[in-house]
Amino acid sequence: MSIFSWKRTAALGLLAMLVVAAVGCGEAEPEAPFRIGVMESVTGPGETYGTVAVQSKEMAVAEINAAGGINGRMLELVVEDSKCSAQDAITAYTKLTDVDGVKIILGTSCSGAMLGAAPLAEADGVVMFSGLATNPDIAEAGDYIFRTSLSDATVGVDTGNVLWADGIRKLATISESTDYAEGVRRTTAEHFQSLGGEIVGEERYASDTTDFRTQLEKLLGANPDAVHIAAQSEFTGGTIIKQLRELGYDGPIYADVVPIGTTALEIAGDAATGVKAITPDLDPANAKAQEVLANFKDRYDYVTLPWFLGSAYDNVYIAAECLKKTGDDQDADGFRDCLYEITWSGTIGDNYSFDEKGEVVGLSNAVLEVLPTAERTEENGGYKVLGAAPTG
Amino acid sequence: MALSTQAIGKLVRRTRDLRQRPRFARGNIELWANLIILSWSAAFMLWQGVGFAIQVSTFFAIWAILAVSLNLVVGYTGLLSVGHIGFFGIGAYAMAILSSDASYEQLRTEAIPTFGWPFFAALPVSVVLAGLVAVVVGIAFNRFRDDIYVLVSFGFAVIAFNIFLNWRALTRGAFGIHEIARPEIGGWTVNGTFEYLILVLVFLAIVVLISWFIVTSSFGRVLTAIREDEQAIEVFGYQTAHYKLAIWVISAMMAGLAGALFASKTSFIDPNSFVLLESILLVSIVILGGLATIWGSLLGAMAFVMLEEGMRFVPFLPAEHIGQARQVVLGILLVVLMLFRPQGLVGKFRL
Repeated sequence: MSIFSWKRTAALGLLAMLVVAAVGCGEAEPEAPFRIGVMESVTGPGETYGTVAVQSKEMAVAEINAAGGINGRMLELVVEDSKCSAQDAITAYTKLTDVDGVKIILGTSCSGAMLGAAPLAEADGVVMFSGLATNPDIAEAGDYIFRTSLSDATVGVDTGNVLWADGIRKLATISESTDYAEGVRRTTAEHFQSLGGEIVGEERYASDTTDFRTQLEKLLGANPDAVHIAAQSEFTGGTIIKQLRELGYDGPIYADVVPIGTTALEIAGDAATGVKAITPDLDPANAKAQEVLANFKDRYDYVTLPWFLGSAYDNVYIAAECLKKTGDDQDADGFRDCLYEITWSGTIGDNYSFDEKGEVVGLSNAVLEVLPTAERTEENGGYKVLGAAPTG
Repeated sequence: MALSTQAIGKLVRRTRDLRQRPRFARGNIELWANLIILSWSAAFMLWQGVGFAIQVSTFFAIWAILAVSLNLVVGYTGLLSVGHIGFFGIGAYAMAILSSDASYEQLRTEAIPTFGWPFFAALPVSVVLAGLVAVVVGIAFNRFRDDIYVLVSFGFAVIAFNIFLNWRALTRGAFGIHEIARPEIGGWTVNGTFEYLILVLVFLAIVVLISWFIVTSSFGRVLTAIREDEQAIEVFGYQTAHYKLAIWVISAMMAGLAGALFASKTSFIDPNSFVLLESILLVSIVILGGLATIWGSLLGAMAFVMLEEGMRFVPFLPAEHIGQARQVVLGILLVVLMLFRPQGLVGKFRL
């Protein structure tokens, strides 16, 4: 008995020592690089988004450093996993600011994590700069909180405009019970109603639902001119489109970006043809965007969520530009002022800047239309860009 | 009645075991588990600096309150509940709604009732609210035991989560509630992380004291007897249903307290913090530390938090795999522990 327990304790002790030793080694650089923090949801529900964002940022940093760095100084990222939760965001934030001493944090990918850490950042005077968080509440989060991602409110407003311009007067909505999808549905419905439209049906579903027929029957029973889908998981988005068509509905379908993702289109098949999505998208005519996507594909051998990828990528270049100006990675106030003043042309658009709430201005949502199955390719993602969403 | 003599004999044997086991279990592993976890935690905190240590300790204290309270039900009374997170969530939402102020702009976009109560008024109400729900749930649950108990408590966790997610008029659904008020004592707001840690530690101490009081009292001995053989203790004339309900409600109130502290600490909550998985993690912490030992729950919570946060500092992992590695290590550790030491680090009993 006692031999076994000794073995086990020895193994445990060894493990502990290994961990301690391993951590102890990775410190001290001769030439001080600019250090900025990154918080993304690398695990949990936002894993896809977080991973793409981290990889995209690392690619941007590698490019900047390969080109000689910022005024000769290298750029270094300290990456932390904030998951999609406020608690993890708080510990990740404290680790970054307290242990690593960073004053500028790029992230996060999840709005919940962002809202958890933002009050701390605001109190400490630390800049948080996200490329992915879309919750409308973030606009009010504070003076040090910025984002290049478009608030769900803008997606909703633009969707409302598109619906109205397309002659839709009676709308039925189905949405996933998550903050993102719920935000899109709410703002879409509000704006559509303010234009004079009528919401004739409203259904919500949990993320693990697989059969929507009852709910869809109910919606179709109200004779809507169109159905709007706000989904956060591609599986449900694709399934809803498929089941809508199976039920014999042949009217127009509008959606957020998720139901026209690669997986969703695979599930929906030909049923998805003609579905319109209102979402920020990379401009196919933007050579810089295409180059970034190609580089990403070279480096990681896959491409997903191109707009978010581009947004995270741009964040690093904007940060580099501001660091060049301030010359100090501890100067959060200077960095913040730089963000307020900057006008940037990058992957996700030209001449965009930040308003007094730290919200991005100058970017707009695009209207996408899903192509017939025969025309879908890996390059076009299965859809074509119809153009920018109409305003007003 | 044959049953009663048999049962009493069994109970006497078990009780004798009770007295003998601690000496037997006080072996090397227990000592080493204590030593390793405590020294690793201390070293880790010292070396990472005060700010991070405070933040991590605060979450440790909240999880410790949860673990200790769950241990009263699972470890001492033998009711394997995986629904504890539901009470945690009730406490958190009660605190969030009661203390939120109508002046917070974002609460107007998707309006929920706001009360603007101070922290110390909202706290007892949150605790009592969790207790009231526990009374109702507990009366129903008293009909079940063993495997079925796991299933119904599972059901409770799922129902609680869905209520948090779908009762949008009260919880803002998936949006969550943010800008939750900080505690205020006589006009002085507990804003600093250190003050908050002290506050949480005080509550942890209270919870530990109450729990210690319970388990060393005659009430606690009845609970242990219920775990060992409910029928036998009934033969002696004890209304086990009352005892089970009482400890269930006390435990739920403690979980509600932890939830209220959590909401105020993170200042943002959404239903994702109260999913079933968190409940399973909580049961793992209790089992990891050891059933029917308060110290074990503290140790388990510390080991869990330190392991999670400690993995942030492993340098040779590629950045995008740090998170996954944390989960894998945690999983492996639990499996290894259950294989070689099913009674937990400092525990005396097996499930």
